[in-house]
Amino acid sequence: MSEQIYWDDVTEGQEFSLIEPMDSQRLVIWAAASGDFYQIHYDDNYAKDNKLPDIIVHGALKGMLVGRLLDEWKGEDGSIKNWGVSYRGMDPARQDLTVWAKITKKYQEDGENLVDLDVGVAQPDGTQTTPGTATVALPQR
Amino acid sequence: MAEELDDLTDEMKAAVGAETSRAIYEVTTQGIRTFARSVGYTDTKYYDEQTARNAGYDGLPSPPGFLGMPIFDPNSGGRRSEIFTNPFTRRLNGGTEVEPIEQVYGGDVLEAVTRITSLELANGRLGQMLIQSNETIYTRKSDNTVVAKTRGTGISY
Repeated sequence: MSEQIYWDDVTEGQEFSLIEPMDSQRLVIWAAASGDFYQIHYDDNYAKDNKLPDIIVHGALKGMLVGRLLDEWKGEDGSIKNWGVSYRGMDPARQDLTVWAKITKKYQEDGENLVDLDVGVAQPDGTQTTPGTATVALPQR
Repeated sequence: MAEELDDLTDEMKAAVGAETSRAIYEVTTQGIRTFARSVGYTDTKYYDEQTARNAGYDGLPSPPGFLGMPIFDPNSGGRRSEIFTNPFTRRLNGGTEVEPIEQVYGGDVLEAVTRITSLELANGRLGQMLIQSNETIYTRKSDNTVVAKTRGTGISY
C-alpha cells in the first residue's frame, strides 16, 4: 500500500506520474477485464486492414490508468471525488505511455480538503492524447 | 456519408432525458483481479481478500472505476438498442468521467441505468457530427445504494 499523502503537504503545480508499457498482452488482459473485444486492440491484421499503424490502446484503459495513478497517490485515507478524460488521439500499442497528474488548485470546501488536477496520458515523444481533470480529497494532518 | 441535418430531429429531441438501457452488472472477485492486473496495480488488497480485510475493508475492494461487467445477452448481437434513428454510422468514444461514491466489493450486484443527457450537432474535421452525452447511475441491489456515476460522450459521424 502507498504511503499516505496529506493535503497540508501538497502544493499547486506539483506533478506525479507513472510509466506503463503497453504491450499486446496488456491489451488482451484489458479486453477480458472490460469486455471490449474490438479487434483493433489485439489483432494485428485487423488493425492493418483498418489502416491503423498498429493495434491501438483502448481509450477506457487509458482512463482507468489515470484512475489508478490517483488511487495510488491519494493513499488509504484519501478519496477520489471524480475524474474524467477525453479521447483526443489514438495511442498505438508497443510503446510506453506516461500517465500524469498536476495539481492546479488546492482548497477547502464543505469541510473537505480538496485538490483539483489536470491529468493525461502522453506518448514517448510527448504527444498528449488523453487530457482530463480530476478532484481528490486528502486527509489533513 | 449521412445527409446533413439542419437541426436535431424530433425523435432525437425526445430522446434527451430518456432511459437508453437498464442492465445488471456483476462485480466478481475474479473480475476485480483481472481489472487490477490490467491497469497494473501491485497493491495486494485488490487480489487477496484477507489482505483487504486486514486493512479494514469489508471484502475484496473494487478499484475506482471498476463497476463489474454486464450479464452478456447472446441474443443482443453485442450491441445496445438505439432509441432514436441515428443517420451517422461511424462511432467514436469521446471521453469518460467517473464519480465514485461508495466502495464497491466483490460479490456486489449493481443495476446500471443509462440516460441521454444531451444531444448536439457539431461540425468538425470529420464533417457533421452528433455528440451524445450519457449518464449512467450504478445502484447496489442489496441495499439500494448509489455507488457510482459515470458520464460518457459518444461521437457519431
